[in-house]
Amino acid sequence: MKTLQKILTATAIALCVGTSAASATDLTVGFTLDANTLDPANHRKRETETIIRNMYDGILTRDSNMKVVPQIAQSMVQVSPTVYDFKIRKGIKFHDGSELTAEDVKFTIDRITKDGGMGDGQTSPRQSLMGPVASTEIVDGDTVRITLREPWPILPAMLPFEEVVSKAWIEKVGNDGAATSENGTGPFKLAEWRKGDAIIMDRFDDYYGGSPDIPPVGKACVDRVIFKIIPESASRVAALLAGDVDIINELPPFSVKQVENNPDTAVMKVNGTRSFFIAMNMQGEYFDDPRVREAAAHAIDKDLIIDRILGGNAQRIEGILSPDAFAASTDLHRYSYDPELSKKLLAEAGYPSGIDITMDVEGAFKDTAEAVASLLSKAGFHTKVAVGEGAQLADKWRTKGGKKTGDMYFTSWGNGSLDPYDIFTPTHKTNDRGNSAGYSNPEVDKLLDEAAVEVDTAKRAEMYHQAEVIVNKDLPYIYLWVPADLYGVSKRVRGWKPSADSRINLHDACIE
Amino acid sequence: MSLSKLLERIAQLVPVLLGVSVIAFTMMALTPGDPVQIMIGDQAITAEQEAQLRHDMGLDRPMVERFFIFLGNATHFDFGESFYHKRPVADVIAERMPATIELSLVALVVALATAIPLGVLAAIKKNSIFDRIATVGSLLGVSLPGFWFGILLLMLFAVHLHLLPVSGRIGFDSEVPNVTGFLLIDTLVAGNMKAFGDAVAHLILPAITLGLPMTAILMRVTRTSMLEVLRQDYVTFADAKGLSRRRVLFRHALKNALIPTVSVAAIETGSLLGGNMIVETVYGWPGLGRLVVESIFLRNYPLVQAAVLFYAVTYVLLNFVADLLYTVLNPRVKL
Repeated sequence: MKTLQKILTATAIALCVGTSAASATDLTVGFTLDANTLDPANHRKRETETIIRNMYDGILTRDSNMKVVPQIAQSMVQVSPTVYDFKIRKGIKFHDGSELTAEDVKFTIDRITKDGGMGDGQTSPRQSLMGPVASTEIVDGDTVRITLREPWPILPAMLPFEEVVSKAWIEKVGNDGAATSENGTGPFKLAEWRKGDAIIMDRFDDYYGGSPDIPPVGKACVDRVIFKIIPESASRVAALLAGDVDIINELPPFSVKQVENNPDTAVMKVNGTRSFFIAMNMQGEYFDDPRVREAAAHAIDKDLIIDRILGGNAQRIEGILSPDAFAASTDLHRYSYDPELSKKLLAEAGYPSGIDITMDVEGAFKDTAEAVASLLSKAGFHTKVAVGEGAQLADKWRTKGGKKTGDMYFTSWGNGSLDPYDIFTPTHKTNDRGNSAGYSNPEVDKLLDEAAVEVDTAKRAEMYHQAEVIVNKDLPYIYLWVPADLYGVSKRVRGWKPSADSRINLHDACIE
Repeated sequence: MSLSKLLERIAQLVPVLLGVSVIAFTMMALTPGDPVQIMIGDQAITAEQEAQLRHDMGLDRPMVERFFIFLGNATHFDFGESFYHKRPVADVIAERMPATIELSLVALVVALATAIPLGVLAAIKKNSIFDRIATVGSLLGVSLPGFWFGILLLMLFAVHLHLLPVSGRIGFDSEVPNVTGFLLIDTLVAGNMKAFGDAVAHLILPAITLGLPMTAILMRVTRTSMLEVLRQDYVTFADAKGLSRRRVLFRHALKNALIPTVSVAAIETGSLLGGNMIVETVYGWPGLGRLVVESIFLRNYPLVQAAVLFYAVTYVLLNFVADLLYTVLNPRVKL
């Protein structure tokens, strides 16, 4: 009976203290997804990288304006079109107290880039993110040289996605150990991983300070950070409003007002990197005719949808590239909203009474797609929205040259590196994996192939510009917008800014 | 129940599991969506690198070969490596299972503890205001979508009243030794009453949300079956003998009235596991349901196959338990 009494008392106490705020130097992030693994070389998930990045530093990193800056490297020198030298900073410690050396950096790159580099015949799933790396060597005590098989100018843009591991530690704990524990050089070290629930990290007091290009340099501000996994957006917003968490990612546009109206919270936003567009099936019944594609482009009032549905939180685009991407053109032709012109063009194409079409979309974007469909319908495209599951639709549309069915596909492509190579090539090159329109133009293919290996930055930018102009005229897609990434943030948080690559680096974040 | 009967029931599991394995495997393999493409995401990749990735995931082998590898390994509880976690599927599932079982059991207790008294009361006070309120209440309980009801409870008790936590299983300052994975047990074993209370506080809203539809169904079943029993001659006879109303109701009527309740409760407990997928998402509950949903979207074949097998075994076992309970409540029934 006494035990029962104790239990009841404890329950009553907990009910009173259950939601008490964390101690003053804790910072909690309400985050959409748990890490799959803590091994930096053994995943392909952006969310996993966001979490890992607070424990592991990279050779290079990006500041909040997306500029690539050295982190573990002290400097980077491009020796030739295929050779890059990285001088490694001294005095960097891993969380186990051992010192980082050039050997660890070489080991990290080899582990990712070599066939079977993970050991046991396993190749890192991140291999393709490092392009045509031929070899990695240590050229003097503290300089690591990466040699490429062919020029690949986006290496510096891709290196911030990789984190440096300790050779001795990996050899000791193996891939299994690296999956559930960590030994990075980052500002925080793992305290506990409650799988599916939270990752708790303590400040690493021997931190070397991070990139000198991203002040303040020094130890992290808060004692402890917690990534608390709350997949449902309404629950994430509730946790922020209740004061349970200090930062939430993927704030839905419809919750912006709610977070702004709460006296203790604010909305922070940053230009995103995901371009939204509508693929028109160029092998299909209607959209093989350029007049029909042009008619569709004139049928959509992008500004209206950005304003009314997305709450103004998006940038309009006329080509596949985000306005923030390398080589994004600023002078592309804008297809004005003109439903009468659409109808005229449709009539010229032989459809005076319009056409009946279906637009495929994932459930998450149904509302926006329906708004687009209603505009299309007013201009003669009698559009039915068909909701499908992401992987299923990708299978239907991204056929790599195989036969395609369907009329329109409301979709998107992310571009975390903000380099055209990662978005322009897959979506526009003939038969490439993201070419959902079935577009094929040998001139564009040639420009994309040449730009991928051109090391002269100005020439490379010009090639992408030329490709954008051609594509803007050919119109395989209706290019829509790049939505902003929205975060809900407690007003207690200081010193933190969201970053366009959707990382949440908490080194500089303080709690008042 | 004799040993041979028990063995017979266990033997019946074999064809069921074989059938479920075939269905789970082919459903996943035939569902459109390529795990390799999903894993690569929005990146440029060469054909060779893509082929390497497909080979590493074992997806370059023909489907029939993959099925027999899966089946062969599954016989000794090796379900392969999760495409995403890069660890054995059995480990990943085992980490998340206690959270789901704990939540389901608490929801079951909540449902039984509410539904049976309410059902009995509604039967005794048939056509009264209470009965009508209970009927409307149970209709609402079945109809309210768990997703919506969960958010409603969250906004009320966590955001506005600040009485209960929003999500998770336990606060970050509660340190609990991982003995069984069941936090209610582990906190008690450790003698940490504060952590125990914290775990209870985290359980309340998810358990109510998960248990609500079951409460509603069980209440209706109990009420109907109690009404039927109360009309039986032996109840009238017991009343005529002058036994107290309380004794007639609880000693004579309720025991028989509970037989259908037990059957329904056992089957519904299986559906609690399914309902978990939504409740776990709303409350950020680190259980198996959420893991399975995520894995389906990612076409994480090995994990989904193993989880489906786990669900199938649980269903079969629950039905078996229901049969056993049936014989206890009604000695005329033999297995």
